[in-house]
Amino acid sequence: MRFAPPNPLRIADRASGLNSLSVRSYNERLVLSLLLQNEATTRLEIGEKTGLSAQTISVIVRSLEQEGLVVRGEAQKGRVGPPTTPLMLNSEGAYSVGVSVGYHNTHIVVVDFIGNVQHHRVMPHKAADTFDAPEALALEIRLAVAGLSESRQARIAGVGLALPTPPIRSEPDHDVLHRYLEAEFGLPVFVQNDITAAAGGESLFGTARQLQDFLFFYLGARLHCRLVLNHQIYNGNSPLSYDVGVLALERRLPADSAMAEKLWGQDLSWPPLGATLADWQQACAENLIQLAQSLLQFIELRTVVLSSFVPAAICEALCTLVRQKIPSVNAVVGRTSAAPKAVGAASLPFSSRFMVN
Amino acid sequence: MARTVLCFGDSNTHGQIPGRGPLDRYRREQRWGGVLQGLLGPNWQVIEEGLSGRTTVHDDPIEGSLKNGRTYLRPCLQSHAPLDLIIIMLGTNDLKRRFNMPPSEVAMGIGCLVHDIRELSPGRTGNDPEIMIVAPPPMLEDLKEWESIFSGAQEKSRKLALEFEIMADSLEAHFFDAGTVCQCSPADGFHIDEDAHRLLGEALAQEVLAIGWPDA
Repeated sequence: MRFAPPNPLRIADRASGLNSLSVRSYNERLVLSLLLQNEATTRLEIGEKTGLSAQTISVIVRSLEQEGLVVRGEAQKGRVGPPTTPLMLNSEGAYSVGVSVGYHNTHIVVVDFIGNVQHHRVMPHKAADTFDAPEALALEIRLAVAGLSESRQARIAGVGLALPTPPIRSEPDHDVLHRYLEAEFGLPVFVQNDITAAAGGESLFGTARQLQDFLFFYLGARLHCRLVLNHQIYNGNSPLSYDVGVLALERRLPADSAMAEKLWGQDLSWPPLGATLADWQQACAENLIQLAQSLLQFIELRTVVLSSFVPAAICEALCTLVRQKIPSVNAVVGRTSAAPKAVGAASLPFSSRFMVN
Repeated sequence: MARTVLCFGDSNTHGQIPGRGPLDRYRREQRWGGVLQGLLGPNWQVIEEGLSGRTTVHDDPIEGSLKNGRTYLRPCLQSHAPLDLIIIMLGTNDLKRRFNMPPSEVAMGIGCLVHDIRELSPGRTGNDPEIMIVAPPPMLEDLKEWESIFSGAQEKSRKLALEFEIMADSLEAHFFDAGTVCQCSPADGFHIDEDAHRLLGEALAQEVLAIGWPDA
């Protein structure tokens, strides 16, 4: 084949927009995985971590640059040796829509390639534990997409859905919703358990980006957890959860609906709840500590990530309680903003289309 | 460890001054090879192998078989081995009317040189060296007295970068388009002047370092 014409299949698509799924090779995904997991890297580091040759990496990086997924940073003068040119993801290279269906609210977010939330909208359910029509959701997604410029809309990698297991009442079958949205938008749709998606979002965009192993807690209506080992989420869809979440706090409050409603809102702080809050926090922290301690028997756990829509100060207080009880473990608050599950859902199209499993 | 770069090219690697004769040459520190040497520093040795009129793989029926890049490349590689990087910047002379070559065939010629290098494996301990294909900047419309020799080459020269990049992609070689940083001089329309040499040398230094060299 020495004198055959060059094989065009190896060449990056020079049209604008994202390459189709089929031509993204395993090696390209390897390189993108490294870039998604690190803020900046160099071609030398990519070579060391993947075992790919410098020339192979050169070809892949060039095609990713042309596609607009990767940009070069300023050359950094090292303490020793020649300057290095860091590579990083282009934040405007790809976008993704994430939807999470929760107990009280459905969240719709649009994130850029490095996880910055560009758009966040909350659709309160008409009644708790029910889901409104898929058409209403489709309309909200349409509005979210319309917020991006036309050229950016062409760079949407897909729609991620984070859905609870077992499903909440009146929620359509997952497959039906999946197919409906796919037909509606002509975009690939990815569905995952909501807690697993939140853990994945934290791992890709959040506090846990650099962490290989961590225990992930999601504090919502109830408390859920996931174990992440070597960047992989273990036991993806465990339905087990603990009744120490916001629902438990709501029950402790007097039947004053104004107060209770505040708990589910998007406020940056809760109204003063006095001893009720302290008691609930204590009960919740004990549950966190117990779960972390039971896991410590099996693995050398260093980090616990607590992700939640509740105010950051409350989460920080819970983390402090955990750190006090288990000094060997660093408990940190997740970074994926007011809608961890929706941001997690938005990470699904990126991980499915750009990363190796 | 000192690293060795071989710059295999034509008059634009030789440093011929635009609009002047083949004996009028920029000084080493003015030529892109010299600029590259200066920026890479003393741990690198930059070897210039630029011959005016060199083609990729053709014996020139007028200027002679010595202009054939392919036949000279092998002894040249062996003379300078072990090599860490070979930068090939050729293609302009293949566009002369007498060769009647489309841009894709010029890229095939570059591909032959890449294959020849890998067959010889002149890298350290018999490994393949890194290879960087550099597309020359496009010619200008006005080629002065060279028009009859190059007639029709101007348009072809604008297509070399894409054809070379496709070849580099498919053979997995590094690639750089010189046209992104410099232009040919209006003095003759196809040679690069001192400014262009400097810009090219600076850009290539970045490209060379971006490859990533353990313990360089």
